[in-house]
Amino acid sequence: MKLDRRQFIKQAAISSAFATAGALFPGISFGDWSRLTQNSGIISWQKSPCRFCGTGCGVLVGVSDGRAVAVKGDPNCSVNKGLCCMKGYHSVQALYGKDRLTKALVRKNGTLVEVPIQEALDLIAQKLQETRDKYGKDSVAMYGSGQWTIPDGYVASKLFKGCLGTNNVEANARLCMASAVTGFMTSFGIDEPMGCYEDIDHANVFITWGNNMAEMHPVLFSRMLAQRKNRTDVKIIDFATRNTRTSQAADKSIIFKPQTDLAVANAICYEIIKNDWVNWNFVNDHVSFHKGKTNIGYGTEDHFAFTDKAESISFEDFEIFLEDYTPEKVEKISGVAAKDIKYLASVYGDPTVKVTSFWCMGMNQHTRGTWINNLVYNIHLLVGKISTPGNSPFSLTGQPSACGTVREVGTLTHALPHGVVMNEHDREMAAKIWEVPVENIDPKPTYHTVEMFRALDRGDIRFMWIQVTNPMVTMPNLRRYRDGALKEDRFVVVSDVYPTPTTDIADVILPAAMWIEQEGLYGNSERRTQHFDQIVDPPGEAMSDTWQIIEVARRLGFEKQFPWAESEYIEKIWEEYRLFHAGPKHEMAPYTLLTQRSGVQWPFVNGKETRWRFNPKHDPACTNGKDFDFYGKKDNRAWIWARPYEPAAESPDAEYNFWLNTGRVLEHWHTGSMTRRVPVLHNAVPSAYVEIHPEDAAELGVVNGEKVKIISRRGEITMPAQINGRGVPVRGMVFVPFFDESYLINEVTLDAFCPISKQPDYKKCAVRLEKV
Amino acid sequence: MKSQHSKGRRAIPVAVLGIVGLFFLSHNGFAESNAPKNFDNQGGKIFEAQRVTPQLNLQADSGGRTLASFYGLRQYPGSPPRIPHEVDLSFSGNETDCLSCHGKGGYSAQFGAYAPVTPHPENVLCYQCHATIKSETLFVETEWKSITPPRLGQSFLSSSPPPVPHSLQMRENCIACHTGPGAVAEIRISHAARGDCRQCHATVVQSAPLIEFERN
Repeated sequence: MKLDRRQFIKQAAISSAFATAGALFPGISFGDWSRLTQNSGIISWQKSPCRFCGTGCGVLVGVSDGRAVAVKGDPNCSVNKGLCCMKGYHSVQALYGKDRLTKALVRKNGTLVEVPIQEALDLIAQKLQETRDKYGKDSVAMYGSGQWTIPDGYVASKLFKGCLGTNNVEANARLCMASAVTGFMTSFGIDEPMGCYEDIDHANVFITWGNNMAEMHPVLFSRMLAQRKNRTDVKIIDFATRNTRTSQAADKSIIFKPQTDLAVANAICYEIIKNDWVNWNFVNDHVSFHKGKTNIGYGTEDHFAFTDKAESISFEDFEIFLEDYTPEKVEKISGVAAKDIKYLASVYGDPTVKVTSFWCMGMNQHTRGTWINNLVYNIHLLVGKISTPGNSPFSLTGQPSACGTVREVGTLTHALPHGVVMNEHDREMAAKIWEVPVENIDPKPTYHTVEMFRALDRGDIRFMWIQVTNPMVTMPNLRRYRDGALKEDRFVVVSDVYPTPTTDIADVILPAAMWIEQEGLYGNSERRTQHFDQIVDPPGEAMSDTWQIIEVARRLGFEKQFPWAESEYIEKIWEEYRLFHAGPKHEMAPYTLLTQRSGVQWPFVNGKETRWRFNPKHDPACTNGKDFDFYGKKDNRAWIWARPYEPAAESPDAEYNFWLNTGRVLEHWHTGSMTRRVPVLHNAVPSAYVEIHPEDAAELGVVNGEKVKIISRRGEITMPAQINGRGVPVRGMVFVPFFDESYLINEVTLDAFCPISKQPDYKKCAVRLEKV
Repeated sequence: MKSQHSKGRRAIPVAVLGIVGLFFLSHNGFAESNAPKNFDNQGGKIFEAQRVTPQLNLQADSGGRTLASFYGLRQYPGSPPRIPHEVDLSFSGNETDCLSCHGKGGYSAQFGAYAPVTPHPENVLCYQCHATIKSETLFVETEWKSITPPRLGQSFLSSSPPPVPHSLQMRENCIACHTGPGAVAEIRISHAARGDCRQCHATVVQSAPLIEFERN
């Protein structure tokens, strides 16, 4: 940080005030603060979205002497109103792990050798070109993430789809958000939630569907708790497969057997219709009924393909379909008491109660993920509780820019910044904005994430560039994909900030600028675009992911498409990207405004953010003159889908008799490559464990901390048992957090996925346990 | 650690203690969660306390207790504190009577102070652990020493929330000790209405030795 003269004069006074602080607050430690040499004692505060989850909290980063030294919640950010969680408060410490990657590394004769970054970029461009020439345009791929900034994803899409002519741009958000997207597309024809976090301030009942919000979205959860505290008519119902902090806090906790959320959701609809709680005015005006294919498979085999086919049905057809789902029948499938199903239906059905449903990975990482998203929308649509303050089916996200970068920029192999590659009009729009021939953009989608790593294993893909993500921890059925990546004649480039199991398999490692070491933009779960400036310098030769791609693009001869100067490239990219979203349905805020505000929600029309879409009181894109306009679908209606209960891809049997469920803990984010380098967070949860029900543990003969071997058809892992710890699974289920690279639980999980979204199910596979 | 309580000990029988009715609790008609109780350090207690403790009590402050007097009643950090006031013999006939003041807290006109709230009201046999003080002289002098209490404010950054520096056993309910007018001034907070203490304050006290994170 540069000090002006006046600040410099103030220095002495402030430094001495700082010294006396120790006397005023005896015993209070200011951490490493005092050890910072040249520390002026003056902090400048700059806004940014938090680096971690998809909540998108605003933080203020305190900077002194060029280093990030402190964090405050940003009081101007409506997401969190000045409060963070422990990850956010310590987030800047993740910049300063001792093993930061600061130099480019190239594997030569099996060992990684430091090289100047420009040389590494030359090699990447050369290998990419060679691979393309030898194996064809679809043999090269880019695998990014929902932690990519919007410019990162945009330039990746432009280079690969627009210039190189391959649709091979995919992102790890496939593993976390794909079912949410296909849920929105099939039910509403347009992606992302109609509501926003402000729904929390209006709802009377919150129902968490397989969603441990107390740990995974703690800032939103405590906002719910504060509402319950301040109003007399608020309650929380936890609907889950495992007892968690969310169940502890809830007014009612309802446990269901894995996968049977499908049956329970249908039973809720059955009850709503049976008791005539249907909002007929809403349904007659705004809803149409449909069915799709059934028995749709699980995708565990290579080259699996599936295309759904929608057929219109009548309300009466839907009613008949639901006859299989009476509460009494569903009690037998789900283990949920019929009276609890009726209770849930009565909550949704009560016209005086505003209901918000929250979900995240429990519904998305599901072999029928698209279906369960549809089914929860069905409930809200039948009773007309949608798109109004407090009535909100709300799909939460797990990564800071899963929405902003992957869903809005379209960094998936079928998507474009606007629309899909299959659509001629969308291709023409992209070609025009990108200034490339329209023939460059291939109308055929390529591989989704699981199939992309299968293609790398098979040799259909020979070059893969991985940015901002750690697939060698997160891929289900991990061993196959790691072995595949290590095969002869595969060239893997990894851009990251720390060594990870993914950099371990890399041929080239590029040191990346992290978070506030670069300028960028994220987009959170509630359609909020959030800009951050470069606040501190990246270490060594570390370079932003955007700029890495630009450097390679220029080496490949695409200077015309990537002409921007380093001083202004983020602004130029944003203004180019905005062209894709012009119009009232998706208009994005201009750059200057984004630099000034703590996030702006789209559609941003005539200087106004849109809080509730499809509602003409709030959404200027509504034009039909009615009280709602579901303009995403051609029939201007939201679609209710008849989707049956179908079992999981792999259920416990006599040999493999336990469910394995995986997930996160509050302290760690994603694969822990950042949060494990934050002392507070690592000290709180230093390693992974397996949660076992106390009675199962007793039968197995293990006590807390003893080692248990978890064995599936794909692999095995031995780790310490945790009994009555952070969470308690039901009998017959174990739970393992995936943050710990020393315990790669994904060597045990199954790579089955939702045939519509292609998102894998990390919550259900069969294992057996052995005492070690 | 002081082995004796400070001289300012009040000798007013608690049998005549009066509680101002500030702290009647309302459940809003909702039951406690039906989730199991005994996991995650019984963290359900925090949510329950946040829900039933009136906003006023969560935010009120009296400055009446200090950390020095708090540790003055303890032999080591985490030991059960001694009872700093006389207790009428007839009062001991029913142990739960302690909870009439210490269950939910409140103002005592006789003591001119607010009663501290126990974090574990489910343990009703208070005298099992909490000793009265009948005499201040020792049988023989002691050479007892203990560890120093945890430092306050062990934040890793100047602005970050401090982690929890003590074991949670018997002290699962943060709100009992850290909020309200009966709380020790140095460790009192006024933002408990947010509800989920562990959202920001990590529990770093380990029961097993810490495994250092190392990449292989």
